[in-house]
Amino acid sequence: MPELDDELMERYQKGDENAFTLLVRRHQQPLVNFIARFINDRDSAEDLAQETFIRIFKAANRYKSEGAHFKTWMYHIASNLCKNELRNRGRRDRYRVDNVVNSGSDSDGDTEQIDLIASAPANPELQPEIALERKELRNAIQQAISELPEQYRLPLVLRDLQGLSYDEISEVLELRSGTTKSRINRARLMLKEKLKPFI
Amino acid sequence: MNCLQAEEHFSAHLEDTLDYQTLQGFEGHLGECEVCQQEYARFQESVKAVQELPQIEPSPYFMSTLQQRLATEQREPGSVKAIATTSWKQLLDLFRRPKWAFSGIMVLILTVAGTYFYQERPLFDQNPRPVSGTTMSQGEQITTSPETLRIELPRFVRNSRQFAPSDVLSTPTQPMQQRYMLKQVSYTNASTSGGL
Repeated sequence: MPELDDELMERYQKGDENAFTLLVRRHQQPLVNFIARFINDRDSAEDLAQETFIRIFKAANRYKSEGAHFKTWMYHIASNLCKNELRNRGRRDRYRVDNVVNSGSDSDGDTEQIDLIASAPANPELQPEIALERKELRNAIQQAISELPEQYRLPLVLRDLQGLSYDEISEVLELRSGTTKSRINRARLMLKEKLKPFI
Repeated sequence: MNCLQAEEHFSAHLEDTLDYQTLQGFEGHLGECEVCQQEYARFQESVKAVQELPQIEPSPYFMSTLQQRLATEQREPGSVKAIATTSWKQLLDLFRRPKWAFSGIMVLILTVAGTYFYQERPLFDQNPRPVSGTTMSQGEQITTSPETLRIELPRFVRNSRQFAPSDVLSTPTQPMQQRYMLKQVSYTNASTSGGL
């Protein structure tokens, strides 16, 4: 049975460096996905994810398992870093273009191919059309997410892309449960309107 | 339930977290309202589409780059481990806790207050004692006991009270040395009689 995050943190606090490596391996993919989806930039996402782990590494001595859970603590740090990054970009007035879809599509290319084979219609000529449609839809969704106001985008990504519970999201964002629920519903409604031409 | 109210419950209905009474109201409204039916169907589809977005994977170099960055952090002076083992840092960390910080501030306030009230005289004497030698022109010395030296030396005293600029302006026939001292105090306002 895999060790819990808190147990790994305790081991690391006692000097076991392998425990920290295990934590990184466990959370690197969800963290990069979260940041990339939230800030809409894959390259910066790697950087910020690493920065998050460095912050965790530095603050490990102050971590207490009876307080926040490791996962919510990690997302809390990452969210703050993302907000700072977006604020700095706003100051520089240099917003990066959709990097996720262009370079990020490489990684899910295999998955896409498998999907296409599984759902291949009788007429093979239709295949590229379907692939194009899917890619367009994915681009549109990512674009729509990135256009949401930050206070709605953050809980939406945590809920619908990271699969956190409402309680966990409330803990990450330090919001009341009712506020979290209402923001997620509002974000989904906004997204529905933005995706009207596609759905 | 109206359309706006129904819209507020889209997520809760989708995730099956509505209480029985609200569920009845919501489904009752949806049964009657075609617009809400369509909107709810689109809502479900868009949520599903978002949830089906592919996961973005980190690059194969993620771990090695991170390890390099961590090694750099550790090598730097005042790095993680160095800080963690420094006793003053550990002491400072204690005061990050509200209880300790509050106690520290209270001790500081009590120490300052205690020092202040334990003195025989206040730190800043509001009514300085008269000086035995009143004017310098008479060649007398200003009292220079350690107590009075600190506060009373910079003041110019005449006839057992503080020497104010208004005194001199109203008495133009002062001896030259006294007027000279006044000019040091406020020569911009005082009459200079053509000099200075």
